Amino acid sequence: MSFRLPHWLSRISVQLLAFNVLVVFLPVAGVLFLDTYERHLLEAQERTMAQEGRLLAAAIEATDQILADDARRILVQLGGRHLARLRVVDRDGRLIADSARLGPRRQETTEDLPEAPTDDAPLLYRIGSAPFRALRRLSEPPTDQPVDTWEPASFLDAPEVRSALEGRYGATTRISPGGQRSVTLYIAIPVRIDTVVEGAVLVSQSTSRILEALHAVRLGVFRVFLVSLSVAVVLTLLMATTIARPLGRLRRRAEAILDRRGRLRGSFEPSRRNDEIGELERALAELTRRLEEHLQFTESFAADVSHEFKNPLAAIRTATEMALEVDDPADRRRFLGMIQQDVARMERLLNEAREISRIDARIDEEELESVAIDTLLENLVDAFRMRRANRGPAFTVALADRDVRVTASADRLLQVFENLLANAVSFSPPDGTVTVTLRLEGGQAVVTIADEGPGIPEEHCERVFDRFFSYRPDGRDDGGHSGLGLAIVRAVVEAYNGTVTAGSRAGGGAKLTVRVPVASPHRS
Amino acid sequence: MGTIAIVEDEQNIRDNVGFALKREGYQVESYPDGLAAWEAFERALPDLAILDIIMPRMDGLELCRRLRSLSQTLPIIFLTSRDEEFDRVLGLELGADDYLCKPFSVRELVARVKVLFRRLSLVNDQHGPDEEELLEIGGLVLDLRRYVARWRNDAVPLTVTEFMMLHALVRRPGHVKTRQQLMEQGYPHDTYVSDRTIDSHIKRIRKKFLGLDPDFDRIETVYGLGYRYTEEPDR
Repeated sequence: MSFRLPHWLSRISVQLLAFNVLVVFLPVAGVLFLDTYERHLLEAQERTMAQEGRLLAAAIEATDQILADDARRILVQLGGRHLARLRVVDRDGRLIADSARLGPRRQETTEDLPEAPTDDAPLLYRIGSAPFRALRRLSEPPTDQPVDTWEPASFLDAPEVRSALEGRYGATTRISPGGQRSVTLYIAIPVRIDTVVEGAVLVSQSTSRILEALHAVRLGVFRVFLVSLSVAVVLTLLMATTIARPLGRLRRRAEAILDRRGRLRGSFEPSRRNDEIGELERALAELTRRLEEHLQFTESFAADVSHEFKNPLAAIRTATEMALEVDDPADRRRFLGMIQQDVARMERLLNEAREISRIDARIDEEELESVAIDTLLENLVDAFRMRRANRGPAFTVALADRDVRVTASADRLLQVFENLLANAVSFSPPDGTVTVTLRLEGGQAVVTIADEGPGIPEEHCERVFDRFFSYRPDGRDDGGHSGLGLAIVRAVVEAYNGTVTAGSRAGGGAKLTVRVPVASPHRS
Repeated sequence: MGTIAIVEDEQNIRDNVGFALKREGYQVESYPDGLAAWEAFERALPDLAILDIIMPRMDGLELCRRLRSLSQTLPIIFLTSRDEEFDRVLGLELGADDYLCKPFSVRELVARVKVLFRRLSLVNDQHGPDEEELLEIGGLVLDLRRYVARWRNDAVPLTVTEFMMLHALVRRPGHVKTRQQLMEQGYPHDTYVSDRTIDSHIKRIRKKFLGLDPDFDRIETVYGLGYRYTEEPDR
């Protein structure tokens, strides 16, 4: 059985809540420090009590005998200007004076007062201190001291009094009566008259004041804890709404965008948020947009290819019909020649379409080498001259820089410049000149190929690189162009981080410019 | 006989179609793009125009629109190479009389040209059609000579191909015609037409009828077989 969280309390929200609440608990651990503080306070109280006891003992010693009346007189003279209960016990453990029995005092002994819990929020204190009380009970073993009713039958039973009567300092603690958590501290000081212990002074005081003070501190810490806890919970829920919920929305949107057959349907709306989630949303929107663009491109390419095939196919079909119907052998030969021409064109179209798909898909995987463009251009132009056997346009090559190397596949570069040259030749008048230049410019090899043909109208300068776009001014359509040559050029050049642009040659004609970054000289 | 203008950027197609039409005795003028054709049409209109769609400088759709501004009755046949062009071409606003998909049969094209010339010559014919040239089923009347269909006395602007397919369905009401049969009827000389083309023709015929009568439901699809024209649907 799986436990399902409500949708607004996502996993991220739970984690945030856990962290925040943990942080709130950290200061609470500081409360443990209060125990050390408590010990210091108790030691201070014991020292104060010992001081008072010694003063009383000294006063009694000054009378040279231990008499109930003298002791009582001294206590009266003290007039309650002491915090602890002071008692004087003789050598036999009999009580001879007690500050608590001297009638009304300015200050009541505290150990007999019930330790009333402070009346503001006692329940709160009990809840908050419960773990600490439990902890203390566990860590402190129970003492074997009898729970003393305050008036013992004989003070000789009290170990601290016995110790004092034996001439030593005695101290002990007893749990305060009345079921309180406070204890009462007892110390006994020997009273020596002529170096003989004649009695003892017993000083007792409850630790309840200390505990009260600590109680107040603990209560304060607990209040701070409660406030922090609620603030943490509220903050976490707020964070959940600003982080987890938009993320959940993004996820649902992402799931909705792909249909069951894995096709893209719709897109992310660009977000106006300024935070990281907004950035994520925008990145996803951009991703889907690019993906959609690519899919559309692929789709339209397939449609374009099929469309481009239909023209030669239509020509072949009509020519076939005609070839079958005509009787004149010259006509028939003409139609068969047409068929041959269009079959060749379809073949070229197929090859170039496959070529351009291959460039799109795999040019990154092709092996690159350092290619000297100047040598490549010279060899290519020589090949063109030979191929055309001095018919058609002349070629001039102007290389401003030598040994211009780019990192590329030599075959691909050859393809680029062959297409550009063939293009220039096809537009060039037979007595024209095709000019090829090469120069270095800002870390780029710049190659221009210009012809003296009709040129490219301004509005087509960008479109000539589109797939299947073919601009053939009147009478120049020999049907031999797939409209892919320049598209292949652009695909290759852009794969090598270069650019190719079309423009006009000064004095008429088209000029195509290729810029490719040169190979860094450190690499061979 | 008349003058036929062929506007097509593909030179071989232009030559072949021109050759075939000249053999039939027509005058042929050919133009490599829409603008060249339009410049000539402004001086003198042909009697029939065959237009490619995608052409440099001015495409066939624009040329058709301009031609229609000069003449509403000039028969126009489109040559298309993209499936998605059908809908735009045959949109009634353009008012093409017929179209053929590349690669088309030149004999098919010649047959269409003949039908369109016949239809044109009969439009101004004052004589009512003979009884046997009228096919009347319910509210539908097919004028087999003029290739004109009427539904409850409204003329339905069908192309020649659509008329021929509807004729095939209506000739035997209640009988199912397979797509193959409809294809043979609609394109007697062409064997490369796909089933999908038939479906889109039927869809367009229905649409044209629905434009006149929103309750028209006589052409039924019989799944797995083809189509059927029902004389009186059960109501």
